[in-house]
Amino acid sequence: MNTSSRPLTNEEMHRLKSPARRERLFRRASLFSPLLLLLLWEISSQLNLIDRRFFPAPSAIAQTAWSMIVSLELFDHIGATLRRVGIGYAMGAIPGVILGLMLGLSQTTRRLLGPIFAALYPVPKIAILPLILLIFGVGDMSKYVLIAIGVFFLMFYNTLGGVMQAPQIYMDVAKNVGATRFQTFRHIALPAALPNIFTGLKLAAGSSYIIIAAAEFLGARSGVGFFIWASWQTFAVSRMFVGIVVISFMGYLTILLIEALERHLVPWAKQ
Amino acid sequence: MTAALQKTPKPKVVCAPPAIEVTTLTKAFYNSDADRVTLAVSDFSFSVARGEFVCIVGPSGCGKTTVLRILADLESKLSGEVKLHTDDAPAMVFQEASVLPWLTVAQNVALPLKLKGTPQAQQKARVEEMLALTGLTSFANARPSQLSGGMRQRVSVARALADDRDILLMDEPFGALDEQTRLVLQQELLRIWEATRKTVVFITHSVDEALTLADRVLVMSPRPGTLVADLKVPFERPRDVVEMRRDKRFWDLTYEVWNLLASPGGA
Ligand SMILES: Nc1ncnc2c1ncn2[C@@H]1O[C@H](COP(=O)(O)OP(=O)(O)OP(=O)(O)O)[C@@H](O)[C@H]1O
Ligand SMILES: [Mg+2]
Repeated sequence: MNTSSRPLTNEEMHRLKSPARRERLFRRASLFSPLLLLLLWEISSQLNLIDRRFFPAPSAIAQTAWSMIVSLELFDHIGATLRRVGIGYAMGAIPGVILGLMLGLSQTTRRLLGPIFAALYPVPKIAILPLILLIFGVGDMSKYVLIAIGVFFLMFYNTLGGVMQAPQIYMDVAKNVGATRFQTFRHIALPAALPNIFTGLKLAAGSSYIIIAAAEFLGARSGVGFFIWASWQTFAVSRMFVGIVVISFMGYLTILLIEALERHLVPWAKQ
Repeated sequence: MTAALQKTPKPKVVCAPPAIEVTTLTKAFYNSDADRVTLAVSDFSFSVARGEFVCIVGPSGCGKTTVLRILADLESKLSGEVKLHTDDAPAMVFQEASVLPWLTVAQNVALPLKLKGTPQAQQKARVEEMLALTGLTSFANARPSQLSGGMRQRVSVARALADDRDILLMDEPFGALDEQTRLVLQQELLRIWEATRKTVVFITHSVDEALTLADRVLVMSPRPGTLVADLKVPFERPRDVVEMRRDKRFWDLTYEVWNLLASPGGA
């Protein structure tokens, strides 16, 4: 099939590979763009352009952080928050994806159950915190449930959209190659919705940290949210900032992790 | 004129038991928003013998795809009768791009085998065979997005052949290809068909292609599609897609079909 042809010159090879090389460079550089903001902050704080009582210099915050890291104080909080987010996230995402796929595939189910989800979705998650605390107590279960609810809806709607947007031809192919209902679910609907599922996973990761921070302010004895709240109560602004930075960074890393997973699992979708 | 042509002797075809029997098939679509009914196929009858290669030609929009989708049970008929005398469902090569973008070429071809639970080793051997047949071996691990349109279509053909079903339904599989590639693939398809003797219903809007491939050509009228003529193609097998163009009968038949397409219902 290949006719003999001259090999590419080095220069041609270079040009051919340059978009991929640039992509790698950008990916690495994008890790550092938040650092630029920190640098600006540091300079403004050092030059007293902003009130240091409210915005201590990042270097001062880093010092506080360092002492806390050395004393291992922060890790328990990080661990508690991560556990709550991780468990709540899974508890919401798994049923969200499964139900999204099911309603996406079956018009009957969609007609029957769709309105229920549509009615529940707009309820603000924080507004039901007292109710959740009442039902599940002040322990971790109430945090899991709260996060799960928030994550569930995002995953449900993104997955549902993904299946419904999938070209009809994929379903025709499934039927023609003899796929069972479950096989259609697993081998056609799931991969077809995967790009949307990942959009949902990223949105849900962001909301999870918002929800957990609020939940830990009010009803917890541990966690980064609790730590921020406790620092505020003692007016330990530097410590408070450490908490804010830590929880932001946790969210940021989570999304990076999901993006890495996405590149691995959804290689066919153009980023 | 049509009647005379239908009376041409077809001894082999008559004794072979039919694989597909379609009688007075009618299909309409209803658009409830516009309250509009589109009659796509009307009183269409034909049958295909086991191991026969039948081409359906007809103008765009006359309901060819609709008929094939009904045969594949992807669409429901409004009335009439459709009988398939086989154990397994027909395999379909779709008109539009139908390779799954999340699977590699090899995985796409393996899909029907995988879903059936065929043992891995057997799957692998079969996929290699199909890829070789369609000239895709060196692209086994490529993604569909890395292929040309014609190559994607070949993947669809390979997938439809992979699990070796009795009936093969092909909806303009070579429609988007250039003349050269099409000729090569037609020759390949003939070779495969002569080896396997599947029952094939092949849709095309190319008269040339129909005569090259088929035992019989069914000519359809414009929408609502119905049978205008059922022509026997006399060329002996195995055929050479290039050589058969030297045969005068080829051009006579071409003229015949074009006449039918140009003046439908004139007979
Ligand atoms: N799902 C559908 N809903 C409404 N109308 C449809 C649908 N599918 C097909 N039709 C109509 O039925 C008629 C026949 O369509 P079909 O796709 O079978 O034509 P075709 O012969 O395959 O044409 P082509 O050669 O262009 O592929 C067309 O008028 C089309 O608009
Ligand atoms: Mg068509």
